[in-house]
Amino acid sequence: MREKIIIGLAIFAAGLLAWNMNTIFTQLPDELNQGAIYRIIYFHVPANILGMSGFGLGMLLSIGYLVTKDLRYDALAASVTEVSLVFASIGLATGSIWARIIWGVWWAWDYRLTSWLVCWLIFGGYLMLRRAVDEPIQRARFAAVVSVLGTVNAYISYKSIEWWNTQHPQPVLSIRNGGGMAPGMEAPIWWNLLALACFSAILVMVRMRQEAFAREIDTLRRMAHAQ
Amino acid sequence: MLLGLGAAWLIMFIYVVLIMLRERKLRKELDRVRRMVENPNK
Repeated sequence: MREKIIIGLAIFAAGLLAWNMNTIFTQLPDELNQGAIYRIIYFHVPANILGMSGFGLGMLLSIGYLVTKDLRYDALAASVTEVSLVFASIGLATGSIWARIIWGVWWAWDYRLTSWLVCWLIFGGYLMLRRAVDEPIQRARFAAVVSVLGTVNAYISYKSIEWWNTQHPQPVLSIRNGGGMAPGMEAPIWWNLLALACFSAILVMVRMRQEAFAREIDTLRRMAHAQ
Repeated sequence: MLLGLGAAWLIMFIYVVLIMLRERKLRKELDRVRRMVENPNK
């Protein structure tokens, strides 16, 4: 059943992405001030939305583990956080390339960029911590605490462009009262978000299966040692 | 612009390759441990 869901989601996401890429590259005009480079926003924004919301979901699942002590919550939190870190990496890389063209520098140490980089490092540390601790219950507890701390930082990063004057552009999406884009230019961001969210769901499902394998290996090893 | 899109897809591609390699490694390890439990004297 899981395989069928993965294949179905992959076909849907690939089709949606192909249709959307056609819209972005052949139907939308260049932006008045930025030219063609503004199109990076169609990957940069969805990737960062998935990164931030994934970290938030990971935190909720980690809290779920702390409340219930059910390791399945921990496994799901680890899967979601790892995939979210990939999307956060895409957000950082695409943002840096855009900055090089528009600002003339790869990086600026403003509130938004710095807080998001710190967030990325915290969740990178989260994954390293999980590899370093062998005992599953201790690992889940430590990881949950790091997840909560990292998500608080992610929220600060999310709000930073409203709270402070940053070199990073202010909100442009209509749901954040940005209103900086024409509706026809904004819609493909949401379609790309849907397509990438489907890819994200596929990756989380694959990671969950791997977590199940790892748990089974751990159980069998304990049985082998007990024999 | 193409550099940005290329970077996005490259990161995704690298992650997918890593996840596939991890899956293969886990399956091999699972088979090995299963055999070890089924035939403890081997």
